[in-house]
Amino acid sequence: MEAADFNFLLATDSYKITHYKQYPPGVSKVYSYFECRRKKGSPFNEVVFFGLQYLLKKYLTGPVVTEEKIQEAKLFYQMHFRQAVFDEEGWRKILEKHDGRLPIRIKAVPEGRIVPRGNVLFTVENTDPSFYWLTNYIETMLVQMWYPITVATISREFKKILAKHLKATTGSLEGLDFRLHDFGYRGVSSQESAALGGAAHLVNFCSTDTVAGVLMAQRYYGCPMAGFSIPAAEHSTIISWGRNREKDAFERLLDQFSSGPVAVVSDSYNIFNACKHIWGDKLKERVMERSEDSCLVIRPDSGDPAETLIEVMRILEECFGCSLNSMGFKVLPSYLRIIQGDGIDLRSVNQILEKLSDKGWSAENVVFGCGSALLQKLNRDTLSCAFKCSYVETNGKGMDVYKQPVTDPSKRSKRGRLSLRRNSAGFLETVESGAGKPEEDLLVTVFENGCLMQNYTLEEIRKNARLQDDEPTPISHNQEPLNQRIINGVH
Amino acid sequence: FHRLSRRLHQCLQLRGSYLVTHYKQYPPNTSKVYSYFECRERRTDPTKTRKVKYDQTVFYGLQYILHKYLKGKVVTPEKIQEAKEVYKEHFQDDVFNTKGWNYILEKYNGHLPIEIKAVPEGSVIPRGNVLFTVESTDPECYWLTNWVETILVQSWYPITVATNSREQKKILAKYLLETSGNLEKLEYKLHDFGYRGVSSQETAGIGASAHLVNFKGTDTVAGIGVIKKYYGTKDPVPGFSVPAAEHSTITAWGKDHEKDAFEHIIKQFPNVPVSIVSDSYDIYNACEKIWGEDLRGLIETRSADAPLVVRPDSGNPLDTVLKVLEILGKKFPPKENSKGFKVLPPYIRVIQGDGVDINTLQEIVEGMKQHRWSIENISFGSGGALLQKLTRDLLNCSFKCSYVVTNGLGVNVFKDPVADPNKRSKKGRLSLHRTQSGDFVTLEEGKGDLEEYGEDLLHTVFRNGKIVKTYTFDDVRDNAKLKDSELEELLH
Repeated sequence: MEAADFNFLLATDSYKITHYKQYPPGVSKVYSYFECRRKKGSPFNEVVFFGLQYLLKKYLTGPVVTEEKIQEAKLFYQMHFRQAVFDEEGWRKILEKHDGRLPIRIKAVPEGRIVPRGNVLFTVENTDPSFYWLTNYIETMLVQMWYPITVATISREFKKILAKHLKATTGSLEGLDFRLHDFGYRGVSSQESAALGGAAHLVNFCSTDTVAGVLMAQRYYGCPMAGFSIPAAEHSTIISWGRNREKDAFERLLDQFSSGPVAVVSDSYNIFNACKHIWGDKLKERVMERSEDSCLVIRPDSGDPAETLIEVMRILEECFGCSLNSMGFKVLPSYLRIIQGDGIDLRSVNQILEKLSDKGWSAENVVFGCGSALLQKLNRDTLSCAFKCSYVETNGKGMDVYKQPVTDPSKRSKRGRLSLRRNSAGFLETVESGAGKPEEDLLVTVFENGCLMQNYTLEEIRKNARLQDDEPTPISHNQEPLNQRIINGVH
Repeated sequence: FHRLSRRLHQCLQLRGSYLVTHYKQYPPNTSKVYSYFECRERRTDPTKTRKVKYDQTVFYGLQYILHKYLKGKVVTPEKIQEAKEVYKEHFQDDVFNTKGWNYILEKYNGHLPIEIKAVPEGSVIPRGNVLFTVESTDPECYWLTNWVETILVQSWYPITVATNSREQKKILAKYLLETSGNLEKLEYKLHDFGYRGVSSQETAGIGASAHLVNFKGTDTVAGIGVIKKYYGTKDPVPGFSVPAAEHSTITAWGKDHEKDAFEHIIKQFPNVPVSIVSDSYDIYNACEKIWGEDLRGLIETRSADAPLVVRPDSGNPLDTVLKVLEILGKKFPPKENSKGFKVLPPYIRVIQGDGVDINTLQEIVEGMKQHRWSIENISFGSGGALLQKLTRDLLNCSFKCSYVVTNGLGVNVFKDPVADPNKRSKKGRLSLHRTQSGDFVTLEEGKGDLEEYGEDLLHTVFRNGKIVKTYTFDDVRDNAKLKDSELEELLH
């Protein structure tokens, strides 16, 4: 339950305050659903369903209506609309009849499930005829589901690309879960978004610097430690030594973090010089003394991502040599790796790995960091997320309803009561008009009359969301150091 | 206690993991780390013309962060212990600076020994200038300056929303002035529709408040709460809305009863503006037949203070707006205003709230002008583009260390990556000044001490856990308002 000062009655679009007066007289049920509409030309055909449990636990379960909140809302809306429109009596009835708990039922696909675009993901309906207006009152909050769904989906798309290249150049998927590190904390719009987005990334990966996401996964999805990190430099800890003491700064890092991996940003002045003359010469021996478990991870952070990486690897090969793996691709010595965390998005990560493999380099040499492309550079249109009313009951009669704007067929909505089933060919499909068989319905009641009805753990979610040919990689917390896995995934 | 402990817990987790390890990385005997924040200039390729330049930014939102996350007692022994345990698992190693945090707890009762100086909120400042600086005030806590980087850099968001919102205000002001001769109702011409399209409740509050720096129309209620709690206004509320339909309140009547839906709703709200989404099935039919014929009588009796506002919500924005205006113009003949542009009768207006961003906004108002329609006829709603479709890269918001004191000596520091001159950072202690001609200039390397350029526009807002200067939302709006010089420039 959210802190006492969160007022649920104020957590909606203003205009929704006025909707109870707009439905047809005699309406007793409003039934709505959420989907990621299909859109021609979109690169994303399937989505990861994630994040609803957070919203339910934080904002919707328990008594969310109190007399104080009703009064606060009443006063506020009077001033905001410059007239009295607020449905004070309606909310008081929830308080009296249902103890302040929402008479709503939400059915949803299990979290972590992969669902093709254009399918129902969850449905919402009022369970008490007096509160037909409540279904769409909570639309605003529920549509924010677009965010964890989209982050989890994009993150998984990254995973597909990384898996492809890893498999092709090493023959296995070892360490895949640590290949994309979340760098997005500072580039998101708020702490809450950081937590939600950070957790969504952890559905697919285990490496993150967005600590808020780790805590979110702990509190709302029962995972004690969903993500890991390694000591790393930032520009201030290098440049604070002064321009001509970059070597001293680097050496300090090697000293301070000698027993595990350490990432050192190396482009403060000249990345190529740093690789060739400092790492590759002045500190070469110090680098070579490190082990696979305590490798140096060099971080470029400017210039064209692919070109810079290739040049850096060429220089490092020159200075440290390399070997060939079982697939015939070049690998740097095990004490040396690279993390590219600048300018990374789905397109560039694929391009970079293509270029690397063209030059004979294995994907195991590089780990990626991603910030805004993972957590901020997305919006509700990325997967066309929408919430629409599809069925109402008026004067005891049910009616399938929909919108179908003449100038945009893609905005057409589904009709009637919906269910999600697996058809005979094994594909997921939505059945409209109440024609679905209850025993085939994959939607599960997750919320009813103020109570949480399901409790998914991150472990289950990760299992549901894994890549098709993936063997579940054991992510337990009491095995030997995970550090080595973070970098090159070799046990 | 529960609320307090949540806040305390948050502070220790408010940074990117790697920052936890930085106290070990600075040069030995470092006693101060001084950093600053700017919206870097971007020296772009002159062959690439960016549609919108964003030469200036609105500084807003720091006060929210200071109040919510940084002020007062931010640590307790329990929270230090918990953080230590979390980071031990997270790094699979004991890297957390327990000693450093215990020092802060004991010596400062958990208050943060840092000083933040900032430009006044609402100030409109050209790109490439220092906006705020952060420095540690205790030699033992040099590492604290960049510990707070992650949370402070999130100010990119309110800055960017407020800036992008203000640039749209300039576009609307220009065309409103050109097509009507005045700026009446400018502040209601861009309505915030973004609540559902942001990434979280917290973002909604911050972003919506940033839009309200420039406008007064919003449906994102959360923004008003943020303003009330963290800024304050002399008026009871800083933002307003009107009754409006959504698709469900139309489609729930059934496809053959769209007219009944329209009639019912318009009658429910006789004395205030009411916006009715009209594209559920066929926007053009709705405008021509239902509004234009069947319900015409009901509309014509409405007052100028309570117009029907027709809302299209699909199709190409410009084409749809022009066609809707054309159809309505046939049914409700417009008059010509003093500038020679057409205005629909005062009881009917249009709101376009689909696909509106700064670029389409420009296209639509330009298109309307070309077709001789005054901007008085229309208002806009914007959701995703207003509050979500923005990143830290839009204004190149960046936090960098520029000065350290090591072994008692001050050193100007900077980064200057060979492959990207845009990423070069400023050096030394910084200050912001106005030149004789009224331009802004950032002085580096402590040159502001020389007093050649007069006073430093950066004021201390936070010191050692206390907020020492606050701005009301009225101050913010005042600082950010469009200047006459800007309006003149827009018209020429």
